[in-house]
Amino acid sequence: MAEVSTQFDAIVVGSGITGGWAAKELTEAGLKVLMIERGRNIDHQVDYATEQKAPWELPFRGVGDAEQYARDYPVQMLNRHFNEFTQGHFVNDRENPYQTGQGTAFDWFRGYQLGGRSLTWGRQCYRWSDYDFEGNKRDGHGTDWPIRYADLAPWYDKVEEFIGVSGAAEGLPQLPDGRFQPAMALNVVEQALRERILAQYPDRLITIGRTANLTQAKEGEGRGACQNRNICARGCSYGAYFSAQSSTLPAAMKTGRLTVVTDAIVERVDYDATQRRVTGVRWVDRNTGERSSASSRIVFLNAGAFNSVQLMLNSASEAMPNGLANASGVLGTHIMDHANTISALAMVPGFEDRTTYGNRPTGIVVPRFRNLDQLDGDGFTRGYSFQGGALQGTWTRGKRMAGIGQGFKDELQKVGPWTMVLVAFAESLPRARNRLVLSKQTDRHGIPQLEIHFAHGKEELAALADAKREAGAMMAAGGAQVIMGFDQPNNGGTSIHEMGGARMGHDRGSSVLNRWSQAHDVPNLFVTDGAQMSSSACQNPSLTYMALTARACDYAVRELQAGRL
Amino acid sequence: MSEGAPWDRRDFLGAATLLALCIGVPVATVRLSKLDEDDEPSERVRDMMAEVTELVIPRTDTPGARDVGTGDFVILALAHGLSGTKAPVASGAITPALSSFMRRDGSLRYLPWLERTLDQAANGDFFRRTPAEREDILAKIDAAAMAPGAPWSPWVAIKGLILTGYYTSQAGASQELRYELVPGRFDPDLPLRPGDRAWSSDWTAVEFG
Repeated sequence: MAEVSTQFDAIVVGSGITGGWAAKELTEAGLKVLMIERGRNIDHQVDYATEQKAPWELPFRGVGDAEQYARDYPVQMLNRHFNEFTQGHFVNDRENPYQTGQGTAFDWFRGYQLGGRSLTWGRQCYRWSDYDFEGNKRDGHGTDWPIRYADLAPWYDKVEEFIGVSGAAEGLPQLPDGRFQPAMALNVVEQALRERILAQYPDRLITIGRTANLTQAKEGEGRGACQNRNICARGCSYGAYFSAQSSTLPAAMKTGRLTVVTDAIVERVDYDATQRRVTGVRWVDRNTGERSSASSRIVFLNAGAFNSVQLMLNSASEAMPNGLANASGVLGTHIMDHANTISALAMVPGFEDRTTYGNRPTGIVVPRFRNLDQLDGDGFTRGYSFQGGALQGTWTRGKRMAGIGQGFKDELQKVGPWTMVLVAFAESLPRARNRLVLSKQTDRHGIPQLEIHFAHGKEELAALADAKREAGAMMAAGGAQVIMGFDQPNNGGTSIHEMGGARMGHDRGSSVLNRWSQAHDVPNLFVTDGAQMSSSACQNPSLTYMALTARACDYAVRELQAGRL
Repeated sequence: MSEGAPWDRRDFLGAATLLALCIGVPVATVRLSKLDEDDEPSERVRDMMAEVTELVIPRTDTPGARDVGTGDFVILALAHGLSGTKAPVASGAITPALSSFMRRDGSLRYLPWLERTLDQAANGDFFRRTPAEREDILAKIDAAAMAPGAPWSPWVAIKGLILTGYYTSQAGASQELRYELVPGRFDPDLPLRPGDRAWSSDWTAVEFG
């Protein structure tokens, strides 16, 4: 076992959306930080190998080699952002196996590389409100959040300003406005639908997606404005969307206090029972199998919700036989992922002579309108929201059309008809039975695999049924004709919002973390990725993870400086 | 791809290299394993695919499917199971006409199926028919397969791959349609004029349209 002799103030496990933030905040506060990433290094700009490629420059034209995908990417290939351009930003499933429990269908989408899933994320950034932070308390599911919106608001400000979020202020209490860059525009059809639907449903608002794509360059940070390519997941050399590579890692590197180790799978956090502190971490080199360790004063887990939980479960010790910081016994439980489905796909007549130019990298959002001040959900007490947008078809519609020859070719040369899509994301209730455990199966390094037990419940099904009805009603109000819609959720994991497992709560008997994302049982251990979530809301969660990370870092630094950590 | 280049029976890499040279794919990025003997097309099948693709997307004022090697792309795509073509066919969809083309794993041999179907429709050798007759034969197969409520047909996947092969080729994507990797801006409302061509680089439209 090789020991890294440098004494670090902090170790950050993971380099994605929250790991990057932890590294930035801790180094900027003067701490010497070791960041450990399990995947390969990816350098901003130079390693985005497919970014500029055209489909005809790839062997399988961007569609990808289905034979290879069936062998190496049977899960990842189900992700709509996975293709021949982006496959290098997703894990090889064969080399990174996981197990599922009986009756569980869970597609776990992962990116093991420097920057993690910040390279491929959907970039949607929504604040939570007190409808969300008070949700558990109101209906009794899960445990009460120990924080409220006011605790997080200044940290949302800080994160939005640094990463750059474009969006429109709408003054909605359930989706608080942020520090936005100028909004991207609704297209002509979305704008018309917004007005028509509002006229009939004043509580249902189509607004432009709030997205971490810059509409104004941040020149001081070397980040250019979005070019409206909409190929973000290949990597963006303009640095126009937020990724660890474009934003937080350069800031952390600039301090001169960040050390990054890649290709290093952390398998264990060391715990000293006499001091009741973690002392450092151990990892295995994924290429050579060599084991190493390093020590630090504090440890931040940012490995991604499920992997942070895996690491804590695998760090069981004589003093903590059920897992690190798991005196409560709830470690691994109450995992969540938004239940999603296409609620409506509709044709929108009347705009045959209108079109757009450019590929806007965001859609629209219809903020939650159910179960706000009144509990008006039929069989559910939480919320859902729609994301989607209006678009014009292109050549792929020919795959469903009869015809061959010149007439067929000429038809496909035309810009296709307008369609509108509404995808529902319904809040996932925290349930004890939805949980992670360590499998008896190990990976090729002998590390126990994760076993996922997950199923949506009747509340999510009721929400999606309501979403289908209401999406249809809204499309009718907008003059659109629904072609199809669904009310059954896609597999767990497909929202890529998996979270929970090390939840925050008021007391150590029923939660893993306190209001500072700090382990109740181990004061120098912080978990600031999705694992800390006590409920799921129905918004995309990454912005909240980042705000919680920045807040936890501030607290940890103050506690260190005060000599209490 | 030009006609008549010999197919390398032992190793598909030879053909892949040729394909790469003809359609501009850098050879270094072509990573292909050997084809199963099953998937190795005869010269006749290669000619047939080239002809069929051209019947679907003929040369007009822009190149046709034959000009950009779409037939060989479809052969490559079928060998690698794109669009689910190496997956087992649903048992309810297997008619007597399909059953003799099934592999042991339940998937279908698309190319032999197409060859036989065309020859049967031609009452003999498809290639001995006039171009107009060939177009008529294929149009009937297409109409039957694409009709609303039609029973499952292998033609749907083949046609889809033909479209993919053509509209992701350089000529199909950027001459027949418009291709702009870096639009640089977003205009939310513009007039659509007659003759405006669709975008091959509108990735959302490619996925959902």
